[in-house]
Amino acid sequence: MKRLLLLLLAMLLGCMAYERENLWAFPDIISAYTAKEYCSCRYVMNNDAQYCRGYVKQWLPTSQFTDDPASKTITVSGMGRSNSAQWLSERQGCRLNP
Amino acid sequence: MFKGLLLFLLLISLTARAEQWPSEQWSTARQITGPAVEALETYAFPPRDDSTRQGIRTDALLIIRDGQIIYERYAGPTTAQTAHLTWSISKSLMATVLGVAYGENRFKLEDPAAQFYPPLANHPALKIADLLHWASGIDWQEDYEYAPLKSSVVAMLYTRGHRDMAAFAADHPSYAEPGQAFRYSSGDSNLLATALKGMLGPQRYADYPWTALFEPLGIRHAVWETDASGTFVASSYAYLTARDLARVGLLMVRDGRWQDRQLLPRDWVAFNREPFAGYKAGQDEAVPGGHWWLNRAVDGAPSPWPAAPPDTFAALGHWGQALYVIPSQKLVIVRYADDRDGGYRHNELLARVLKAVQP
Repeated sequence: MKRLLLLLLAMLLGCMAYERENLWAFPDIISAYTAKEYCSCRYVMNNDAQYCRGYVKQWLPTSQFTDDPASKTITVSGMGRSNSAQWLSERQGCRLNP
Repeated sequence: MFKGLLLFLLLISLTARAEQWPSEQWSTARQITGPAVEALETYAFPPRDDSTRQGIRTDALLIIRDGQIIYERYAGPTTAQTAHLTWSISKSLMATVLGVAYGENRFKLEDPAAQFYPPLANHPALKIADLLHWASGIDWQEDYEYAPLKSSVVAMLYTRGHRDMAAFAADHPSYAEPGQAFRYSSGDSNLLATALKGMLGPQRYADYPWTALFEPLGIRHAVWETDASGTFVASSYAYLTARDLARVGLLMVRDGRWQDRQLLPRDWVAFNREPFAGYKAGQDEAVPGGHWWLNRAVDGAPSPWPAAPPDTFAALGHWGQALYVIPSQKLVIVRYADDRDGGYRHNELLARVLKAVQP
């Protein structure tokens, strides 16, 4: 099932090759989404780590995941890209690092 | 003696009729019970499966009648202390913050948005009212889970737009004249958030949701995430406890008044609750007003939630988040959830709540 989805995704990407900007950004989605929403689940909503891993789970895999509790920084890799999100303050919560 | 008795009776009747407002805590009235409450719970709280994440997955259900809690239940990891992600309820919260600014005469509905955010110079006819109606005419694609590649909102939150979400939205071309056609857009909401920055200046802006709205309502633990440019992510990222979100509901159920203070002008709330004239039946799951969702019969179609009174309005968010306000019933209902499929129905929950609260 997952393989089929990946194949369909590859076909979709091929069909839309003219959408260069969107295409270039696309591989960032999974790692950025996982880093940001995990950070907020864990450090804004204060849910436990195990629950938050399930909360951000998508059908696309991530290859690396680190949560540094000292700096409240989450770094995630997937589809060849890496993104991180960090907790900033009580009011501001988490933000993707630019 | 007779006078004293009269005064005593007067005082009794005054306290009996006094309005209930939450102070540091909400007060609790007699909790609703019985078969109709069980039927409500059967719908809202079925056995929960955190591995498949299928079905209706309510995290919190809180019912306020006439300013007092009559029902409250939490599930999953969520408790009364959890500041829960509200997703697009944030949009209506931004509208409420803007309502305070409106009462301070910081803008008019007919003002061009570019007046407060110069990068909108390429959309010169776009008014604040159009953004509040999700009718900017900006060619925005809101779909995400089914078309992630084409989705403006995914690009805004996670890839090309996340550093400056309003600039990303303003950079889109138009597909229609502003104010003519409805198209739900998180970009419109974040343009409102940045327009507010232009109205206030960056210094005052950073604290404004707290000073203008949260603190007057006694909300102590609100979180509102920003993008890297410091603009509040009004489309998606406000977090409140269920009890704190209910305070905003109580403000709305009482027409913008908090105790003795008319925090939101009455004409602002009337604007929130007036259907947008350019909306065509069936374009969305409820009828858009001024950045709130209305249960109104428009354009020859039945109302979106037939089980609920026509004055029902709501703030709604992704994965089943909802704040329902029913002034005619003096009801405020907060529902937080983690619904990952489309099975949840507003009408069904409202039907069961309205049955459960019958005296």
